[in-house]
Amino acid sequence: MILDIIISGLINGSVYALLAIGFSLIYGAARIVNLAHTAFYMVASYCIYFATHKLGVHPVLAMLAAIILVTLIGLVCYQLFINPIREHEAAVLIATIAMAMAMQEIMLIIFTGDYLSVPSLIGGYLKIFGVKIAYQQLLTFGVALLILAGVWALLKKTRVGLAIRSTAQDREVANLMGMNESRVAMITMGISVGLAAFAGAVVVPLTVVNPHMWMHPLIFMLAIVVLGGLGSLKGSFVGAYILGFTEASVVFLIPLGAFLKGSVALSVMILVLLIRPEGLFGVAFEEER
Amino acid sequence: MGILGVYLRKIYTLFRGEVLVLPSRIVVFLFFLVLLFLPVVTQDLYLLRILILTSIFAILAASWDLLSGYTGQMNFGHALFFGVGAYTAALLNLHAHIPPYGSIPLGGLAAVLAGLVIGIPCLRLRGTYLALTTLAFPIILMGIVFAIPGITGGELGVSGLSRLSSSRLYDYYITVVLMLGLCTIMWKITDSKTGIIFHAIREDELAVRTSGINVTRYKLLAFSLSGFFAGISGGLYAHFMRIAGPSTLEVSMSFTVVIWAVFGGIVTIYGPVGAVFILFPLLEFFRFWPEFRMLLFAVVILLILLYMPNGILPWVRDKIEKECPRCKVRNVATRKTCRVCVAPLD
Amino acid sequence: MKIPKFVLSILLVACLVMAIGLPAYAAKVIKIGVIGPMKFMQGKGHWNGATMAAEEINAKGGLWVGKKKVKIELVKLDSNEFLSIIDATNAMELAITRHKVDFLVGGFRTEAVLAMQDIAMDYKKIFLGCGAAHPELCIRVAKDYKRYKYFFRGTPFNSRYLVKTCFIQMATVGGILKKVLGIPKVKVAIVAEKAVWVDPMIKAAKGFIPKMGMEVVGIWRPSAVATDVTAELSAIQRSGAHMIFTILSSSVGIPFARQVGELKIPAVQVGINVEAQKDGFWEATQGMGNYVMTLNTYARGVEVNELTPRFVNTYIKRFGETPTYTADTYANIIYGLAPVIEEAGTLDADKIVAILENREYAVPSGKNKYMKDAQGRHLHDLTWGPGYLTSLGVQWQDGKLVGVWPNRWKPAKGVPEITYKGIVPYKIAPWIIKEYKK
Repeated sequence: MILDIIISGLINGSVYALLAIGFSLIYGAARIVNLAHTAFYMVASYCIYFATHKLGVHPVLAMLAAIILVTLIGLVCYQLFINPIREHEAAVLIATIAMAMAMQEIMLIIFTGDYLSVPSLIGGYLKIFGVKIAYQQLLTFGVALLILAGVWALLKKTRVGLAIRSTAQDREVANLMGMNESRVAMITMGISVGLAAFAGAVVVPLTVVNPHMWMHPLIFMLAIVVLGGLGSLKGSFVGAYILGFTEASVVFLIPLGAFLKGSVALSVMILVLLIRPEGLFGVAFEEER
Repeated sequence: MGILGVYLRKIYTLFRGEVLVLPSRIVVFLFFLVLLFLPVVTQDLYLLRILILTSIFAILAASWDLLSGYTGQMNFGHALFFGVGAYTAALLNLHAHIPPYGSIPLGGLAAVLAGLVIGIPCLRLRGTYLALTTLAFPIILMGIVFAIPGITGGELGVSGLSRLSSSRLYDYYITVVLMLGLCTIMWKITDSKTGIIFHAIREDELAVRTSGINVTRYKLLAFSLSGFFAGISGGLYAHFMRIAGPSTLEVSMSFTVVIWAVFGGIVTIYGPVGAVFILFPLLEFFRFWPEFRMLLFAVVILLILLYMPNGILPWVRDKIEKECPRCKVRNVATRKTCRVCVAPLD
Repeated sequence: MKIPKFVLSILLVACLVMAIGLPAYAAKVIKIGVIGPMKFMQGKGHWNGATMAAEEINAKGGLWVGKKKVKIELVKLDSNEFLSIIDATNAMELAITRHKVDFLVGGFRTEAVLAMQDIAMDYKKIFLGCGAAHPELCIRVAKDYKRYKYFFRGTPFNSRYLVKTCFIQMATVGGILKKVLGIPKVKVAIVAEKAVWVDPMIKAAKGFIPKMGMEVVGIWRPSAVATDVTAELSAIQRSGAHMIFTILSSSVGIPFARQVGELKIPAVQVGINVEAQKDGFWEATQGMGNYVMTLNTYARGVEVNELTPRFVNTYIKRFGETPTYTADTYANIIYGLAPVIEEAGTLDADKIVAILENREYAVPSGKNKYMKDAQGRHLHDLTWGPGYLTSLGVQWQDGKLVGVWPNRWKPAKGVPEITYKGIVPYKIAPWIIKEYKK
């Protein structure tokens, strides 16, 4: 039983981590709460569906194409709708919601509301201590770790990473030091959307593709990011696993209440925030008035 | 007759001096007039239905502004108040047989309680943390609703409630008059000393605290006031639709409220109200192109925000009115000098 | 000169508002409003079924109403009910007050149908509900006949009978498992989405499954829109279940079936999986939904009575897919409503209700007869049973959805066995045979 919880929790957690890291990145660097983050994940899933089913492209190629395409879409959306109004926090929030709605509707018009699916990259399953795990889930787990390592390397070892980190710390000073703040924001946006698309590519093969699939992960992603501390990548990672384990425990301990797993996970988030209002690894933004 | 004439003349002078001087006031006056006398022109049931729902949501959007716009306590879970109001009114009506005029205010009070319950833990949170935490509350409540279907009816909701009134026309007048009244009250609150403190909390909480004002008390007051009005609109909704279901608690409900308010312009009260009166009928109007309905809606919001990030109504107001640089009194944009202090308007 | 400008703009807005849904003058046609979630499968079923019925009637020149032949006109209304109950009720109001429809068919999500039912009853319009299975809709008719008598259940039969049919199918499959694999006592895991219509079914299942000589090893209630059920699945596998009794009407049916197939969980799936009733299921699960069995209304090649093949084949030819149960709008219009309108010779709702509620008529899925409750009050609910509506058990077998039940079903002692034409034998998934065959 405990083994089942640990394994299911690890797998679920890594899916959430993939999404949360991208969201955290753009919030940290540009203070943009991008509620359309998971909508990009949905669009990526549809791209893969279209490429594999309608064009007959190999899944791996489809994945790459989808990631590139969605990243471009993300950058265009950012330039058109978010960049001009970045100073107005509330307006940015609403603009991202409207963007997500628009993407949902466009997909609904093109592909209708039917449930679709994309093929797995690797089929079959592995048995660990009697628990069956699909290879696709293992892949997700591995990819999540890799991505985290990659993002960490990018942030700590490259000049772009330095720029992102310094903008995250103090936008105005970074600007004064000669960093092109809006370009940094744009690069970060690209990376963030790319991560969302990547998450779509590895997660979606096990579930369904439909235009409303962005809503549920959005809530979870937000909960994780808040739980871990806004803008903190470490926090997002740890938060994702905490909620993953919570969900798994609910399913195993009270099978009749499996539908409550979302509610319980959100309650855990609120409890954590009551004790630490800035999340687990967040910095208190006392200075930012 | 003489005295009556004097009073009439006095009212007219007042009217000319206070209302006709500013286009925004004329618009508000016409808004009242059109809403109150519309049934004289048409009693189309469908139109009345749309306007009733619009009024109900106008109260909701304004109540969001009262809390989140004024005090800056970004509430992304406003559906909680709406849902609590709706469910309470519905349950009281169904089981205790309390008629709508009793159950709706009680629903409002229940929402006040909800406001306190979420307000107290949220006191320590700020900004985005607060926004995203409040988002969780209606979802948790929805989990509870599903967990006790014996009381809440699960996904069916509570149905079979008494009507708001005996006819559509009465329904219309009840909701419209309530909407106008409650929104005026909210506007008055924001204009009062309390409102100024709310505003100050948004701008600089630390400074307010240093001035010896109990910030906690005012924040909770804002949560409960906003909860009350939102709860009333929830109760009205439940009795008008005759069903209170989990759809009142959905995330999209919370998002929609924020969309309305920001679209109309926050920290104004009239902004969100106007936005609902533009957007809700617009969404119905888009039934012409059923496939593209929601897409058009989203695009309209995106475009408007792109050009008017402060909201549509403040933008319009700034176009037709100018603020006097010296005495801060508002003037018609066509005037060259201030109507009070005669300072030149540039 | 500010004022006229404002008056003008307000007038303009008012005009826009008034223009919503132009009031089309109803001239000598019977208007039927088809209301459903039109962007989704279910709504498309509603609309396709109704279209077929209207085309067939109009091809014959229409219906005799009194001494005149009147054509049928359909009004398509998107209720958007999965996303917004408000939209659903507004669409209903629009249909009745603006489009002036005479009859209404459709509706799917129970919460929405309850709200829409109230509006239709306010205007005394006949509403044939084609989608929601909750008994409450019809209990309202019995409780307040005067108000709710204009509501009829069009499809499916209510959830009490759904579960009854499921038990019969489980017993059948359980028998096969015992015979082929030599499992002495079949263990059953119940997986039911969290929804109110399911609750009474679970209670019934807990009581009845042991009586069938099977054992319930656990009950899991995932959310109706869950996208990942791997945690539930590993728990089910731990429990050692041989059979999974599914009660899934929403999207969760797809990831569930897919993940069972992907992880080769050694348990057969029996019960209700609405997603598996659709032609798109095979593709949606990437073929992982093989061997899933579910209750269904229609299947290619299965004949319930002489009306079935004509309907199913025409539907497939016209729309390129097998009809699901929401397409029963067809049967409701052409076999239910149309003859009654001709018999009554009027569109008067009260007269039509009086005739319709006492009628018994064949439909492609069996025979419709409206029930009365224990006290003899009209329920306007559909009768279940041999000779009436029984539904089918269908199974996915290598990309094809085939009928597997009723196959030599003996409803009671002394009653002849029932096998519909076109039924094929049930197949057990090979990985399950491998797991248990000694």
